[in-house]
Amino acid sequence: MMKITGAKVVIETLIQENVEVMFGYPGGAVLPIYDEIFKQKKIRHILVRHEQAAVHAAEGYARSTGKVGVVLVTSGPGATNTVTGLTDAMMDSIPIVCISGQVPTHMIGNDAFQEADIVGITRPCTKHNYLVKDVTKLAGVIHSAFNICINGRPGPVLVDIPKDIQTFKTIYKGKKAYKNNHYYKPKVKPDEEKINEIVELLTKSSKPIFYVGGGVINSGNKASKELFKLIKRTGFPCTQTLMGLGAFPTSDNQFVGMLGMHGTYEANHSMHKSDLLLCVGARFDDRITGKVSGFSPKSRKVHMDIDASSFNKSVNVDLTVQGDLYKILSAINNKIEERKILFSKNKIKQWWLQINKWRSRNCLKYKNSREIIKPQYALERLNKLTEKQNPFITTEVGQHQMWAAQFLSFNKPKHWMTSGGLGTMGYGLPAAMGVQIAHPKDLVIDVAGEASILMNIQEMSTIKQYKLPVKIFILNNHYMGMVKQWQELLHGNRLSESYMDSLPDFVKLAESFGASGIQVLKPNDLDEAIREMISIKGPVICDVVVDPDENCFPMIPSGSTHDQMLLGPNDKVDGEISEEGMVLV
Amino acid sequence: MNTKHILSIMVDNEPGVLARVVGLFSGRGYNIESLSVSEVDSDKFLSRVTVVTSGTKIIVDQIKAQLKKLIPVHDLVDITELDSFIGKELILIKLNVKSIKKKSFEDVVHKSKVNILFDKGNEVIIQFSGSPSEIRNLLKKLKPFKLIEQTRSGLVSMALGTKYIKK
Repeated sequence: MMKITGAKVVIETLIQENVEVMFGYPGGAVLPIYDEIFKQKKIRHILVRHEQAAVHAAEGYARSTGKVGVVLVTSGPGATNTVTGLTDAMMDSIPIVCISGQVPTHMIGNDAFQEADIVGITRPCTKHNYLVKDVTKLAGVIHSAFNICINGRPGPVLVDIPKDIQTFKTIYKGKKAYKNNHYYKPKVKPDEEKINEIVELLTKSSKPIFYVGGGVINSGNKASKELFKLIKRTGFPCTQTLMGLGAFPTSDNQFVGMLGMHGTYEANHSMHKSDLLLCVGARFDDRITGKVSGFSPKSRKVHMDIDASSFNKSVNVDLTVQGDLYKILSAINNKIEERKILFSKNKIKQWWLQINKWRSRNCLKYKNSREIIKPQYALERLNKLTEKQNPFITTEVGQHQMWAAQFLSFNKPKHWMTSGGLGTMGYGLPAAMGVQIAHPKDLVIDVAGEASILMNIQEMSTIKQYKLPVKIFILNNHYMGMVKQWQELLHGNRLSESYMDSLPDFVKLAESFGASGIQVLKPNDLDEAIREMISIKGPVICDVVVDPDENCFPMIPSGSTHDQMLLGPNDKVDGEISEEGMVLV
Repeated sequence: MNTKHILSIMVDNEPGVLARVVGLFSGRGYNIESLSVSEVDSDKFLSRVTVVTSGTKIIVDQIKAQLKKLIPVHDLVDITELDSFIGKELILIKLNVKSIKKKSFEDVVHKSKVNILFDKGNEVIIQFSGSPSEIRNLLKKLKPFKLIEQTRSGLVSMALGTKYIKK
């Protein structure tokens, strides 16, 4: 067999892993790999303008396709710039393989030019990482990285390759020749007796609720179908986390809205009063639970997840079922069919009456205006006017993100990309690029705030280069809105450093990158602007100037429970927010 | 209620593996009371890490679940959860024993099954292995003599029987 260089091994292994696209930025320590990219045509390389954006773009690509996102960066600053992206992917369980160049092996530890101990730096923010010091092990490591990042609970894996290893020669024997060089076998098949227990609980409950998270989306569209079947046949209500939106169609009447800090009144109250809480691929995150000691106090809790470390981490549950959610959900459905169980509507009739009472509070209502665009209204119109095209939505982080989650519909999985766990401002634009690369013909919209969008605005240049028709819908309120909201609520309205002064003219900014720019100031002009935005074939920045005084409601203030919600600006926190609550983020 | 747990972890003996284990403890705010690690299978490149930690049941369960997620971790056993187990530690102690006290020192050495590794002039280095409480007792007995330094291996432990050993 012919010997090939380590750099060529990288390309060959990626081809064998069916990689079609990679996002990267060249530099000294990866030049041999870039040379191999130049010589081939199978893998498309997307040149980003900042390495953080490469990871977010890969995340968008991965989340909208279910495939692995691949990133290639150089050593030192190239690698350290990926840290935010990798942490983001770690928190949101996104399969990413990040290949970084490293100074040659004999220079490692010498404080060489552009040297950073990226394996040390990314150890806590990757699912696993490698420093390859032997070219004969390179292929095995890359194939393992792909195996690890997508199996079990997905996450990012970094492979650090010193420059000399990229030039050394070795034999590559093809993927099958490399046994997974690690002991890594996540449990995917659930225990049968636990499935029986769940079915038993389903039949007994009179106040059940499905609490669905991003795990269902990670498990694949098959899992969503099984979930749909289960929710439909039981007639139970369903709430979804920020990460879960779209796992079950949000336009369905059994969907009671997102839950948690900015979740709906009916979702949070259903959680609070429920007697059976069925957590499907969520992790009882602090945005969800509010004050843990008062979280869903009367329910039996069932937790289904592939990651055993999510069990009993913050909330104690009664039954844990480890496995792949598709396998768990289909086993439950099969068991129900096998036992010919029919769920009586009567048993949960009172429960639905109660839920509909909560629903009738219409917690997402806001006071519309003819003079100034309300951000909620802007999203309602965006939803209405784009619904038919089933767009892919990405967001940045802040108020606009919560409003997008509340006011847009997500009727299919993998159409909603948002930074949930880490809350990374600047995520949405590069993520939208990655989505658009994967779905060139589809409508991709980045719902943004004027502050977040500036965090990775350099990617307009990437968008121009690859002619990506991404639509950027900025809800521009001249403030870091969520920071301002918390300052109003917790810090006596002292708006310390949260005003966005000296903003660019977004229309001119768009034009300077060869994109179209639209600015809307009046509610009456909104529909036309949205129509224009989606009719333009190329990229568009639509700068929607919205009411700066609008805040994101409902809200569970820090340190409060699901039944202590603020529904609007006139609701006051009962007494002072506790000191315990003040220190929470 | 906080309880003490001895975790025996089989890991790939590869660079950085200890950093992964230790980093997990520090990053998530868990407690390490002692730590001992060495290769135990040179054919399969396996090391055995023994960590003594403490916490409530929920925390300790979380520590175990997090450790099991580390890719180089092959197996993890909570030795303290098994019926019976042995835990031993090695200690080296350097003392300054003035000649007038030599007699009573030799008495302690004799009764406590201590090995003398070095004895010249006033300087004595002794070695002792035993359970943490035996070590505590020895240190108590050695109080009258001038203790210059000590070093301990950290606890190593094994349970009785073979059932808990993963093939």
